[in-house]
Amino acid sequence: MKFRLKIWRQNGPAERGRLVTYEAQDVTPGMSFLEMLDGVNQRLLGNGEEPVAFEQDCREGICGSCSLVIDGIPHGPDRGITTCQLYMRRFPDGATITIEPWRAKAFPIIKDLVVDRSALDRVMQAGGYISVNTGGAVDGNVLLIGKDQAETAMDAASCIGCGACVAACKNASATLFVAAKVSHFAILPQGKPERTHRVSAMLEAMDREGFGSCGNQYECEAVCPKSISVRFIANLNREYLRAGIVEAGLPSEPESPHAESV
Amino acid sequence: MTRLVSHLQSSVGRKVLTALSGLGLTIYVIFHMLGNLQVFQGPHAFNSYAAFLRDMPILLWTARIGLLSIVVLHIVLATQVSLQNHRARPIGYAIHRYRQASFASRTMAVSGMVLFLFIVFHLLHLTAGVIGSSSSDRVDAEGYRDVYGKVIVAFQNPLVVVLYLAGQLGLGLHLSHAVSSSLQTLGLEHAALDRLFKAAGSAVALLVVLGNVGIILAVFLGIVRL
Repeated sequence: MKFRLKIWRQNGPAERGRLVTYEAQDVTPGMSFLEMLDGVNQRLLGNGEEPVAFEQDCREGICGSCSLVIDGIPHGPDRGITTCQLYMRRFPDGATITIEPWRAKAFPIIKDLVVDRSALDRVMQAGGYISVNTGGAVDGNVLLIGKDQAETAMDAASCIGCGACVAACKNASATLFVAAKVSHFAILPQGKPERTHRVSAMLEAMDREGFGSCGNQYECEAVCPKSISVRFIANLNREYLRAGIVEAGLPSEPESPHAESV
Repeated sequence: MTRLVSHLQSSVGRKVLTALSGLGLTIYVIFHMLGNLQVFQGPHAFNSYAAFLRDMPILLWTARIGLLSIVVLHIVLATQVSLQNHRARPIGYAIHRYRQASFASRTMAVSGMVLFLFIVFHLLHLTAGVIGSSSSDRVDAEGYRDVYGKVIVAFQNPLVVVLYLAGQLGLGLHLSHAVSSSLQTLGLEHAALDRLFKAAGSAVALLVVLGNVGIILAVFLGIVRL
């Protein structure tokens, strides 16, 4: 198979980028999208040109590193998969494929198709944790959790933090990401003690990082490689309203040992 | 209390206030349509309904000022949120494809602006009577202000009918996304009620627009006449 690729090339964060056209040759239908790009890079290296920078790691859809907007859709045309799980048989031979990086103010481009997603890490640092005592592991089945709760929490926890929700959102909002993280803690007993502070801190961090807000278009759900439901966003809003009411009654802001120094 | 205020100033807080004000306006729009359906009961019913509304000036003006402040709050918050959202992606995509966003959800700003312009026109036209009114202060046989006659005369003008139908298009589009979206923003979600909440937007939009368009067309086509 052969393809015409229009790839976003940008030398550095401050440089101007542009779409450059490349040919992908000798592609087999069984190749993954990233293997196809590897082939393109091999040829570029052979010609003494700068290879296309893109992020990848596990290549089995669990690490959340790969992050390409393919023909206008994050992670490409198939639902519920990451870019590395996309195969070239999905495209007609000879097709033109446009490849762009995640685009958001909070995700500055480092080079070509690689963006800096540490904004999501900072949102996590603001509240995406539970505080537990160190020491011996807790015995199994000491803390009983209902099957429904466990399943729902797991659905939320399956978020791999790839940022496709931000890339797909008209408003470049990380709401689905925050919703998944807040929900998976809020549903489980281990997450209850910090429940109120967590949701406020994480949403404040999201605003601070320059993400937009949710417009309830649900594009995020459609591109999420883990098909995380937007029902968690409703849950996030509920948690936030609850926190507003609870915190209004508290004497002062609770001092968290992990609080960010602002 | 300061915590609550700062909560409402965050992006989700603003969205919650936008949703609440929007739902308030939606309820008004539904009752506005239902009340106006009395035009089908003839001049007596309609004019006495209008007189009943105007009978209590304190209530009338409280409602008017209340509605106006809700509209202003809704527009200011929605604009702030949109501007912030706009800044979140300074460089756009060369190609961007929507997967499931409805047409209505993509045109909320446009339908909102159409709706706002229509409301201004509608207030100047039928409420204040600044635009195109010749019979605003006529009195009917029973001594009521002849609102019925005013409506009939207004909707016999094809230009007015076109403007009102455009306004209804904006209203229908805006509501069809807004209602379900507001419920989501307020965190109302349940596995058993999801489909009901999703359908609520289209259902409310259809109800209000059908009622209003019914009145406009019934007058224009001469089914309801003087």
